[in-house]
Amino acid sequence: MRGPFEYIGRELRAGIDWAGGISLLLGRSMARGVRRPWGIYDIFSQIIALGIRSLPLSTLMGVFVGMALTWQFGEALMGFGAKNAVGSAAALALVRELVPTLMALTIGAKIATGVTAELGSMKVSEQIDAIASLGADPLKKLVWPRLIASTVTLPLLNVYGNVLALIGGAFIADFVFDVPAEYFYETYIDELYPMDYISGLVKSFTFGLLVGLIGCYQGFQTKFGTEAVGISTTNTVVATSVAIIVFDFVLTTIFLPVG
Amino acid sequence: MAPIIELRNVYKRFGDNIIYEDMSFEVEAGETFTIIGGSGMGKSVCLKLMIGLLPYDSGHVLYRGKEVGDMDAEQLRELRRNVAMVFQGGALFDSMSVFDNVTYALREHTKMSDQEMLERARECLDMVGLGYDKDILYRMPASLSGGMRKRAALARSIAIKPEVILYDEPTTGLDPANIQRIGAMIQKLQKELGVTSIVVTHDMPIAFERSDRVAMLWQRKFPFIGTSAEIQHHPAPEVSDFINGRYYEDQD
Repeated sequence: MRGPFEYIGRELRAGIDWAGGISLLLGRSMARGVRRPWGIYDIFSQIIALGIRSLPLSTLMGVFVGMALTWQFGEALMGFGAKNAVGSAAALALVRELVPTLMALTIGAKIATGVTAELGSMKVSEQIDAIASLGADPLKKLVWPRLIASTVTLPLLNVYGNVLALIGGAFIADFVFDVPAEYFYETYIDELYPMDYISGLVKSFTFGLLVGLIGCYQGFQTKFGTEAVGISTTNTVVATSVAIIVFDFVLTTIFLPVG
Repeated sequence: MAPIIELRNVYKRFGDNIIYEDMSFEVEAGETFTIIGGSGMGKSVCLKLMIGLLPYDSGHVLYRGKEVGDMDAEQLRELRRNVAMVFQGGALFDSMSVFDNVTYALREHTKMSDQEMLERARECLDMVGLGYDKDILYRMPASLSGGMRKRAALARSIAIKPEVILYDEPTTGLDPANIQRIGAMIQKLQKELGVTSIVVTHDMPIAFERSDRVAMLWQRKFPFIGTSAEIQHHPAPEVSDFINGRYYEDQD
């Protein structure tokens, strides 16, 4: 019986170590990042690298999530003869839950793995040591800009995704269910209150921070050799997905009573 | 005269793997000090301890009498301004041009204008024998050969005019002509700029022809330290077997 308990204990310990390491990285990066110079150029470079290059995928995600969900709701509502309510039904699910979460799971995972692969390769080829040896701070130069960029980028992409989901939904409502796009738009917007947008944005802001943090941490934790970069990248996908799902639940439980 | 770098009774381990036990040696200002020893024994670790890239478990690592382990971020920054390191693979930043690589430390530590940095970059690249390529400044590291990458890395380390340069296997993977070129460059920098050089190498001609003193890492410390001639003719079989490439079953 000792075996399974030992295994659980070891895994639990590793999980606590990991969470501790992530928290420490966040604390140190924030402490050093807020000191001048703020690295505005580096932050904007990262926003372009992480955000602008994610636009094609975000476009696809936004449009297809909007279309798929509207179709599902439309089919269900037709059974009750209430297909005209499809805009109201889709709005909450898309803005509060699906767009921020699915966007984080796809775009976020893409950003996090990209960051891990880049920093992991730099670690393996001693470029991170080289930055330190030249008198610069790797946390300030590498972690801080990526952390801020991912935290800013994901909410922006969430807003973009929401607009495209609305367009995708309106298209399906009009062409499949014969509900005019204008009517879909009006019922969609009427259903939403400021707190719905805020809850979606807070979620994507949190997911952005998590994505940047996990990506950087796993990159810095990469051991030796190219195989290690692969292992770190795989771990990043798992850790990012789990963290997003868990934090989504936590934030939903916080925002549901408020909304 | 006090040594510029001193390691005294240093202990260092990675998990169960003990790298150094009661290890000591010192380096005088202006000398070329070469470290030899078997692969994977921790020669590079020694260099990283000197500039605080790795922490040590106990003992003392001193730069001009100051404990490296006790330095705060600003003191470490100052230390690394004075002690540069050339990494084994060059460790040039892939995403930056040669110009940005070479001037990286200048941007960190000085307020030089772009024109001054350009001139300094050209001067450094000339010094390492890369000045012949007029486009070198704007080339990316991926487009350089192994020898050029090492020389560009050397240019990056001398740009800030350090007083000590740590070389981690600067000739590994290079052809004989490039090995000689790098060796001559290390000597030239010492003579012309008065730089103290600490070189980790497996290349015996570089170790014996270009060094003032040589130290051999053996069983987690440096029991054999002497001038090039002393080490070359050292009576201990461990030393002669190592430098002549004779194989041991149990080197540790």
